[in-house]
Amino acid sequence: MPHDGQDMFNQAATPVLPNLLSLTAESIVAVDALLAEAKENLRKKLSKDGRIDAALLEEHQYAAHALSWFATYQLALTQLHHWAEKLVADNGFTEIEQLILQIGFGEYLCQIAGGIPMSQGETARLQDIGISPSALSAPAVERLMAQGNSSAARTQLVELMQANHGHATFGATALDEDLEMIRDQFRRFADERVAPNAHEWHLKDELIPMAIIEEMAELGVFGLTIPEEYGGFGLSKASMCVVSEELSRGYIGVGSLGTRSEIAAELILCGGTEEQKQSWLPRIASGETLPTAVFTEPNTGSDLGSLRTRAIREGETYSITGNKTWITHAARTNVMTLLARTDPDNGDHKGLSMFLAEKEPATETEDFPSAGMTGGEIEVLGYRGMKEYELAFDGFKVDAENLLGGEEGKGFKQLMQTFESARIQTAARAIGVAQNALEVGMQYAIDRKQFGKSLINFPRVGGKLAMMAVEIMIARQLSYHAAAEKDNDRRCDLEAGMAKLLGARVAWAAADNALQIHGGNGFALEYQISRILCDARILNIFEGAAEIQAQVIARRLLG
Amino acid sequence: MKVLVPVKRVIDYNVKVRVKADGTGVDLANVKMSMNPFDEIAVEEAIRLKEAGKADEVVVVSIGVKDAQKELRTALAMGADRAILIVAAEDATDDIEPLAVAKLLKAVIDEEQPGLVIAGKQAIDNDMNATGQMLAALLGWPQATFASEVVVNGDSANVTREVDGGLQTIKVKLPAIVTADLRLNEPRYASLPNIMKAKKKPLDEKTAADYGVDTSPRHSIVNTAVPAERSAGIIVSDVEELVSKLKDAGAL
Repeated sequence: MPHDGQDMFNQAATPVLPNLLSLTAESIVAVDALLAEAKENLRKKLSKDGRIDAALLEEHQYAAHALSWFATYQLALTQLHHWAEKLVADNGFTEIEQLILQIGFGEYLCQIAGGIPMSQGETARLQDIGISPSALSAPAVERLMAQGNSSAARTQLVELMQANHGHATFGATALDEDLEMIRDQFRRFADERVAPNAHEWHLKDELIPMAIIEEMAELGVFGLTIPEEYGGFGLSKASMCVVSEELSRGYIGVGSLGTRSEIAAELILCGGTEEQKQSWLPRIASGETLPTAVFTEPNTGSDLGSLRTRAIREGETYSITGNKTWITHAARTNVMTLLARTDPDNGDHKGLSMFLAEKEPATETEDFPSAGMTGGEIEVLGYRGMKEYELAFDGFKVDAENLLGGEEGKGFKQLMQTFESARIQTAARAIGVAQNALEVGMQYAIDRKQFGKSLINFPRVGGKLAMMAVEIMIARQLSYHAAAEKDNDRRCDLEAGMAKLLGARVAWAAADNALQIHGGNGFALEYQISRILCDARILNIFEGAAEIQAQVIARRLLG
Repeated sequence: MKVLVPVKRVIDYNVKVRVKADGTGVDLANVKMSMNPFDEIAVEEAIRLKEAGKADEVVVVSIGVKDAQKELRTALAMGADRAILIVAAEDATDDIEPLAVAKLLKAVIDEEQPGLVIAGKQAIDNDMNATGQMLAALLGWPQATFASEVVVNGDSANVTREVDGGLQTIKVKLPAIVTADLRLNEPRYASLPNIMKAKKKPLDEKTAADYGVDTSPRHSIVNTAVPAERSAGIIVSDVEELVSKLKDAGAL
């Protein structure tokens, strides 16, 4: 009997391979074995006296980062397979999902065998990790490599994508109904309130209107994962992923407003005293207090341990002096989570402390009215809507009670504890941006006719869109996996880092390819894909640049 | 006062409807389903009446497949207090006709005794525009259809109706049936805290048999067809050419 969710799937005509799920299951076994061998090879190569040696790791950085990418693909394929199994169990594994699984495995296995793009000019190859190029030789792997990502499969996937109106995603997500209800509501909000205005905000380089922030506050965005006893809604990281995806699909700036509160709340939850939690979290949850993260300095980006801004205790206050840069949404916010050095004799991360530094938000005439602090805007390509600033502190005062956790020297550790959540959230933002690029590119490819037909009917155009849908689902499942690990209180820095690493690449590829589909029109500022390209570019830089991310993953894999 | 709102699960308004090749109906396989947009407006109006202190309980009712739970949960997440699901079809393609729906709603209303029923003016799937009117007839209650404004004053309501050529305001005694038109309000988004609260709100599940109503169809569908595609137009250079083309086409 037909029912909602069932596909009108024609057995005879489908390019789906028979026994697809056993092929993918067998392939995972082969990839697991390959990765285990690569890890062993690199451990030997990079160890000295039984431990990973920093100098050797740096010397062989390319190999180590290549390992990170191979491991990211291994986990991504594993999660894609799990996703398919879940759908099979729920009777929801229809042809569109089958094709996504098959093309995903076909393509990623070919890349594992032939080279994974770490960036446009850098390819991670098996020989980089000491594996013979012929190592991947299981029959299932060979079958998927030869026939998985076929032209017929891509063509059929694009057909199904065009018949997908009304669905929020291409292919079912395998998330539960509550999460899909959340997705529906936030998708509608983004479609009605955000997307129609985002391009104008970007072109005019305007701040996202307060009215939108107030509506987001009413919808509960800022208190999403904050526990109920502190005025939040105690929702899962998985729901944070869904909300971030849908808001970022409307506009990355809107999707990122939640991040700021999420990170500040996470800092206070992990590192704050009970009084600090009681005092700050309800205000952050309600959106009454907007936070901004003040970590980076002109000479200190990824190497946070060397930062120089000083905090000197003077009785019941700290006096802050130093320069900060790349501070997002600095002007309009009410509190800074500010990292500064309290112990000048301790030159590394042990001398750093975190402050919840209150400031006056911008007035009509002044961006930074608080005493002891000045700032200037940094003009940027994309990721506008909150604006970027450089800040100078000269004797800026913070009450001593606002030292996070009430103890000096804990700042770096406290910040580290937020990295998992921040990376999961950033992966979700990347997926939202990628989904937006895909939808915008696909609409253009349907509407634009050349040589008597829609662009989407040309295999090179349709194929790009099919690949975007496949990679978005892979990145999505990897980020949901990281979120589920976090929700189950398991360490997930590795999974979160991988989700962010892959998501950012997928978003950039989707934006670049969607712009390519627009041809010359994509290069015109008037077309929103030009903005999406600029917005997608930040994802590979912030919250851990791709190279740092690969480094952190490699250290964890080898350590 | 209790307000009762019927809610229908229909094909999502973003979906480009496909007709089955054999003409027996619309293809519902793997199609996104949502709450009928006019019902969403009706739910919103009921919640606003509650927020304004004019109503004290909002009950939503859906009649159809078991999956219509999802639409009821959405209504609860918007702010309705409790839900009743009458499972009367095994499959989304089994249409329940307006008279059967009206009879079931009458049975629910006999039990619930609401002071006001707000329904969508029609469902966007088969555009019958009949259930509200039939329900009013079965109950012997006044009806105010195509409402763009509802003002409740004690035991009556002033309802502004969107009619051809303008607006008509009528006064109806309560209890009454009001059907919601597009401009009555803009439905809210369900907030995260309300989505969480909705999980704990009661949702009673019944069957058509519980109310002794026969839902078997009285109509049979002869054929379903897509509208004919418009043929391509031509661009004329001036009025003379336009007139001559119209003459050629026999339109003048």
